Amino acid sequence: MTQTDTVSSEQEDLRLLRESARTLFERAGGSGRARKLRDAGGSFDPNMVRELAEAGVFGVAVPEEQGGLGMGLAAGGVIAEEAGRVIAPEPVVLTIGLSLGLLRRLCPEHPKMAQLIGGEVSLAVAWQERGPGGAPADATCRYADGRLTGNKAWVVGATGSQGFLVVAEQDGGPVLVLAEATADGVVIDKRAQADGSSLGELSFSGTPAAELASGDAVQAALAEAVADATALAAAELVGLSECAFEITLEYIKTREQFDKPIGSFQVIQHRAVDLNVMCEVAQAGVREVLALMDRETDQKVRAQLASRAKARAVTTAKRITRDAVQLHGAVGYTDDFDIGLYLNRALVLSAWLGDDAYHRRIWFDAREAEGAAQ
Amino acid sequence: MTDWNAMSDADFRKEVRQFFEAEYPEELRHLPHRPKFAEIEHWHRKLHAKGWVAPAWPAEYGGMGLNAAKLLIFYEEQQRWGVNRGRDMGVQMVGPLIIKFGTQEQKDYWLPRILSCEDIWCQGYSEPGAGSDLANLRTRAEIDGDDFVINGQKIWTTMAHDATHIFMLVRTDPDAPKKQQGISFLLAPMEQPGVDVRTITTLSGETEFCEVFFDNARTPSENLVGELNKGWTMAKALLSFERIFIGSPSLAQNALGQLESFARGRGAFDDPVFRDRFAQAALDVEDHAALYARFADQLKRGETLGADVSMLKIWVTECFQRITELMIEAAGPDGGTIGPLQVGNVSVDVLASFYKARPTTIYGGSNEIQRNILSKAVLGLPG
Ligand SMILES: Cc1cc2nc3c(=O)[nH]c(=O)nc-3n(C[C@H](O)[C@H](O)[C@H](O)COP(=O)(O)OP(=O)(O)OC[C@H]3O[C@@H](n4cnc5c(N)ncnc54)[C@H](O)[C@@H]3O)c2cc1C
Repeated sequence: MTQTDTVSSEQEDLRLLRESARTLFERAGGSGRARKLRDAGGSFDPNMVRELAEAGVFGVAVPEEQGGLGMGLAAGGVIAEEAGRVIAPEPVVLTIGLSLGLLRRLCPEHPKMAQLIGGEVSLAVAWQERGPGGAPADATCRYADGRLTGNKAWVVGATGSQGFLVVAEQDGGPVLVLAEATADGVVIDKRAQADGSSLGELSFSGTPAAELASGDAVQAALAEAVADATALAAAELVGLSECAFEITLEYIKTREQFDKPIGSFQVIQHRAVDLNVMCEVAQAGVREVLALMDRETDQKVRAQLASRAKARAVTTAKRITRDAVQLHGAVGYTDDFDIGLYLNRALVLSAWLGDDAYHRRIWFDAREAEGAAQ
Repeated sequence: MTDWNAMSDADFRKEVRQFFEAEYPEELRHLPHRPKFAEIEHWHRKLHAKGWVAPAWPAEYGGMGLNAAKLLIFYEEQQRWGVNRGRDMGVQMVGPLIIKFGTQEQKDYWLPRILSCEDIWCQGYSEPGAGSDLANLRTRAEIDGDDFVINGQKIWTTMAHDATHIFMLVRTDPDAPKKQQGISFLLAPMEQPGVDVRTITTLSGETEFCEVFFDNARTPSENLVGELNKGWTMAKALLSFERIFIGSPSLAQNALGQLESFARGRGAFDDPVFRDRFAQAALDVEDHAALYARFADQLKRGETLGADVSMLKIWVTECFQRITELMIEAAGPDGGTIGPLQVGNVSVDVLASFYKARPTTIYGGSNEIQRNILSKAVLGLPG
């Protein structure tokens, strides 16, 4: 298949990384594992987190001098794609992109760095807040005298994490603090997601928390970490799309109606080709973005690149998973077939960190701003 | 009996609206799932007492006898107020078929029971090997004394776990020269030892449809509707009722209304791009309604609909899907969240609408099949 062609053009180190990640995920049970975890209550598997850590997964993008593998975001993308293929619920992008993305830029000496890389803990990142209409608003969660008060929204991995990295406000400036999940005054309101996971709406009332960093550096590191995670989430969607396409391709070759495989009808063939082309375009675009982000130092350019990746990946994953259900007919609409799991996971990953319409807007605004500057 | 058709459209609309607003239970408005009968029984009783269960049936059979224009108004008001259609397979599908092809005895016996919901119907057409290729069905019915004995399996049978009866296509002559021949239309009771119903969970976790297994199940031979081995032509006639119903603007109109209040609450209209996409969807719905009215007029003049009615279903189901996708877009970071999302004083279940829209392009003849029909029967393309 085309899969092997593109993989073989990858750098040797990334190719090896991909092979070992794929083997690890497949051995653990592939997409069947995601279904089991969902049915068991919708969290991830801490043992799997440790296994991934042993394979070096979480530290791939952390520089070697900070205890990582120093392989860059491109390597993170490889892991994210493989996680996407088996719709793994583990906090892969969350940890590589957001939690470690913040800590390595702000406090690389902190002991939580090693624990995250080692898969001993997971930390959720609480950085957004909900405004009156329900849409994102400016931060009002306050940190003073070692205590945190206020609300945070859309926290991925809030259940299953041992603590929260919270971006709050202190004396008019930003601050990053660490609150333990079991600390006093923490209330987690779980919002069930389409894939069986949950988003946390957190409320803190006088919760003890430790300051990790403050000032403008927090804002800058947050922007970088969000860009990293956005691009990695795009890679996860690319992996998801590829696998959803492969499942569908197999199905249309075998399902027969009118005494022929449905894949023999030309309209189905053309649809399959279109989906395949979309997949390849998305894979090429997103992988290029990750490689460019590794070389680029300008934060604005990196953010714009991340938007390019997420816009493409969301459009692709939505189209592919929805057409995949259509091409399966009624079985595609059941929970018995895996394709529905991919559709649901795509809904969740699309909404996280901005969908395609959002990122196209951001991308265009960045382009205009750049044009004006020149 | 009121002659609704003699009323002005405006008066009729007012009357329907007032009834729904006054009588329809608030907690059942815009139900995100398909209800079991018990959940909506109270409402059904009111509707039945009013004589409004079957707006499209002729008055002589207990319907409202509405012409196409009035019917459209009725459905519009129903959707506008978020009135659940109830368990309407009897009213929408099997009733019209009995009216058209049934004997006087069958009409006298079944029609009142459909109206009162004493019998609740499900549709047993599809089988594992007979989806788009429905004529490939294998479920057998053989005459044994005064009964038909049924063996085989149906699948995707919506709400079979909450139905008392099934109307089904069965093979009565396996030796017929063509697949379409040798198929008959049967009515059968579900509550009997030979019928086993297993629910199937959908990808959104609902149990809406089922597998139904027949193992020497029985139904009296007078439950054959129409002639033996002539079920296919009748079922096709029913499909054309189904197609105009399924092609009606109501689902898309309702979703558009929800999208509008949700998007407004979320401030999505501040974005000119979103405004454009909303306008596009709104115009898609309006112009579809104009096309729909054209087909409805044809029915009103007593003409039968041609294959071109398929275009309604293609347009409106795909439009419905786009509208629900826009809802998800307007939901932003809440776009993967299950259950009602609150904006101001309205709450909209975005994902429920999204899930509801997905299979509309699969059931009732998939959109690919509708396109095949249009290209051959309407455009006259070869092949
Ligand atoms: C929510 C839901 C409720 C339903 N309720 C009922 C019910 O109450 N009673 C009942 O009897 N059935 C019901 N159905 C079944 C429905 O009628 C079938 O799903 C439909 O006929 C399609 O058949 P299939 O699912 O087997 O898909 P298939 O026929 O296997 O089709 C799979 C894909 O191939 C495409 N395809 C097939 N043939 C061709 C062709 N010749 N050219 C191009 N493309 C083609 C289809 O469009 C589809 O995309 C329901 C289905 C759903 C999803």
